[in-house]
Amino acid sequence: MTTLTDRYLAATLRSVPVARRAEIATELRASIEDMVEGRTAGGQDAAAAEREVLTELGDPDKLAARYADRRLQLIGPAYYLAWSRLMKLLLSFIPVLVGVLVGLVTTAEGGSTGRGVGTGVVVAFQVAVQISFWVTVVFAVLERTRTPLHLPEWSVDLLPENTPDRKISLADIAASVTFLGLLIAYLVMQHFRSFVSTDGGENLPILDPALWNFWLPFLIAVLVASIGLEFAKYRTGRWTWPLVAANVVLNLAFAVPVIWLTSTDRLLNPELIARFEWLGEANHLDLLAAAVIAGTVLVAFWDVLDSVIKTWRDRG
Amino acid sequence: MVSDEILRTHLQELRRGTVVVASLVALRRPDYGYALLQRLSDHGFPVDANTLYPLLRRLEEQGLLTSEWNTEESRPRKFYRTSEEGESVLGRLLTDLATVQTSLTGLIEGADR
Repeated sequence: MTTLTDRYLAATLRSVPVARRAEIATELRASIEDMVEGRTAGGQDAAAAEREVLTELGDPDKLAARYADRRLQLIGPAYYLAWSRLMKLLLSFIPVLVGVLVGLVTTAEGGSTGRGVGTGVVVAFQVAVQISFWVTVVFAVLERTRTPLHLPEWSVDLLPENTPDRKISLADIAASVTFLGLLIAYLVMQHFRSFVSTDGGENLPILDPALWNFWLPFLIAVLVASIGLEFAKYRTGRWTWPLVAANVVLNLAFAVPVIWLTSTDRLLNPELIARFEWLGEANHLDLLAAAVIAGTVLVAFWDVLDSVIKTWRDRG
Repeated sequence: MVSDEILRTHLQELRRGTVVVASLVALRRPDYGYALLQRLSDHGFPVDANTLYPLLRRLEEQGLLTSEWNTEESRPRKFYRTSEEGESVLGRLLTDLATVQTSLTGLIEGADR
């Protein structure tokens, strides 16, 4: 019959280096017996005293870690910042990038938009989990082996510029650039895969293919310039009046052609309109045009207003 | 009013290093784990058993303590004693502790209240 002390010793010694196990066992057993004896001498019941002593010594794994001078943390302060910075850097763009690429490829290879989006989201999630897991495993191993990282010492030169003035975060810029990128991708993609087909099963572009002569390349150029504006904004760290002016010009350069093309019925593919009877009826096409124009005006107006408010608020 | 939890953490921080000093002083007279634990707590250094026992081994590995098994009594006991190296480290530690006390006294006396 094994006593509680035997079980406690076995549990502790399990994770103590083998070379020192026997010695620690003898010493710890004697110490426990001394402690129990100290209590029973005061008139306490032996079994209760044993329980109390072992409770006082606490979790055997914790005690063993103290004997072995082992760290009870996955990633300690020496490695934590390096781990956290690397995680943020990798997770900030790799999962989204891979997800969008896989989503586009899935869609382009003949899947539906829904399947493309679904596959993209799942892949992005899997990539994020894989990155988190492997980075953490590597750092946990470094922690255990106490490998020096030899990272450059921090110095004042590493201080980010404009810190007190920065009003625009990288996340905002990344979101805007991603949105603009997707919009450009859509303008191109709708020509090849709109998910509307003719009676013959051929692809039917949403926008009038004749626009490729000038207006679609022009709109795409405006969007590319808008991406440039996002980067300029990030470099400056905040909205300034020159940036607002550029924003107004770019918004007008996008909205005015879209509104004009819509109001003259030149935006949508005539074959597409012919394909949907509903659009041909009564004034439905005018309603759709009005909605597109209203939406375009609203988005452009809101974007400009937002930049003006932010510049006003952050001035000086 | 500061919470007991905060107070306890600060006291713990303050006491942490003194256990090593107290052990090195006390082990000028050889002793085994449990007896040292008793001796320290009798002199106002309450230490947890699960802190002291591993600490003794670590100090031994660092060469600050030497040890000897005594098998004459009812159970085999490991007696620790402050080594020469331990004595010189202790000297440095005690000097530093005195310096801290002096500096603190100076600060207290010099401070406007």
